[in-house]
Amino acid sequence: MPQNRDKLIKLFIGNISNTIIHEILEKAIDIEEIRSKDHKEIKTSLDIAKYYRDKINPIDNPLPDKNISEIKKRIINNIKNELRLRISKGYKNININIIEETVDKFLKELKIIG
Amino acid sequence: MEIIGKVSKGSKMDQIYIPKNRGGFPIGDYVIITALSKELEAQDKKKPYFYNVKFIEPLKLRIIEEIFRILDKNVKNYENIIITGSFLEKGFYFNDIDILFISDEKSKIEKFEQMIENQTGIKPHIILVNNKSLIQGLSTDPLYQSMLSRCVSKKRLIYKVNSKINYKLLDLQLLKSKIIFENFDILSGSEKYYYLQNMIAILLFLKSQKITKDEINKNIEQLFGLSVDKIKFNLLDKKVFLKKYREIYNKIFNKIIRNIKNATK
Repeated sequence: MPQNRDKLIKLFIGNISNTIIHEILEKAIDIEEIRSKDHKEIKTSLDIAKYYRDKINPIDNPLPDKNISEIKKRIINNIKNELRLRISKGYKNININIIEETVDKFLKELKIIG
Repeated sequence: MEIIGKVSKGSKMDQIYIPKNRGGFPIGDYVIITALSKELEAQDKKKPYFYNVKFIEPLKLRIIEEIFRILDKNVKNYENIIITGSFLEKGFYFNDIDILFISDEKSKIEKFEQMIENQTGIKPHIILVNNKSLIQGLSTDPLYQSMLSRCVSKKRLIYKVNSKINYKLLDLQLLKSKIIFENFDILSGSEKYYYLQNMIAILLFLKSQKITKDEINKNIEQLFGLSVDKIKFNLLDKKVFLKKYREIYNKIFNKIIRNIKNATK
């Protein structure tokens, strides 16, 4: 059902965005002990993203190009919005240049892209 | 089961005190008292330490002792083993056992998790942390404070905590709780409670209030007008709950962001 698939993609995008925002913000914190802490919470959003990914066909192959570009665009927008909000409020050290490569890394890991 | 106790002087009769949290000897049981050798006396030191745990089921206590035994047997140098989380709540509604393993040495956590699961049938979640990180975590991380406010430990806990607010870290911690907005329908009651508890712990931390399980629960009940059990059993009105949740989340987020700005000036 396409409607259901759209909903799953939306939920996937929300969770993977959260995972990547978390990863980028972690890099903006300069306390070593904080960086090496337990990553249970990242795993949780990533696990939920995986849960949705496993319900989006094709499960074992990359998604069609049309889907990929739309998903990637929406994830990048979500991340940029969240990070820009922080930057505009004076949050320092956020590296927005790593957004795209981080998104690609996670999308590859989850077999969204080949 | 054996418990070591010391005969103490009473006014009319002498007595032997035994801990309320014990793996056997229910009230009314008859027991034999016998003298103890010096060797057995050493076992007395192996009794776990309870912090704000008023009651624990004997079966759980045996599981805790088994976990301590496994880790103690397999790791030579460690600082402490601390059991915390939902396992210590009354009843058997937990999903896993949270174990803080304090050690400066890197250990094969997966191997120990497997051993504990094989022995107890319960999935453990071991967090390996060194002493320095634990102390840092306790001063900057509300969840650590909440975890250690109610726990059972192998050795006595001696930590002096001076709370230090790191707004960037709190921002990161709060981000965890955002997961509820889009995943309300698929999260279980106990998962929702976990994210809610995280958010309320941050709120209390920002107000420099004491972070204990009881305080968190009291605040949840006051703010949401719901019992904690209702949340854990997932008996929530989605619209009403999310409206309140979003309101509190935004309030905390705005406060954190405002202060990140001030801190980085």
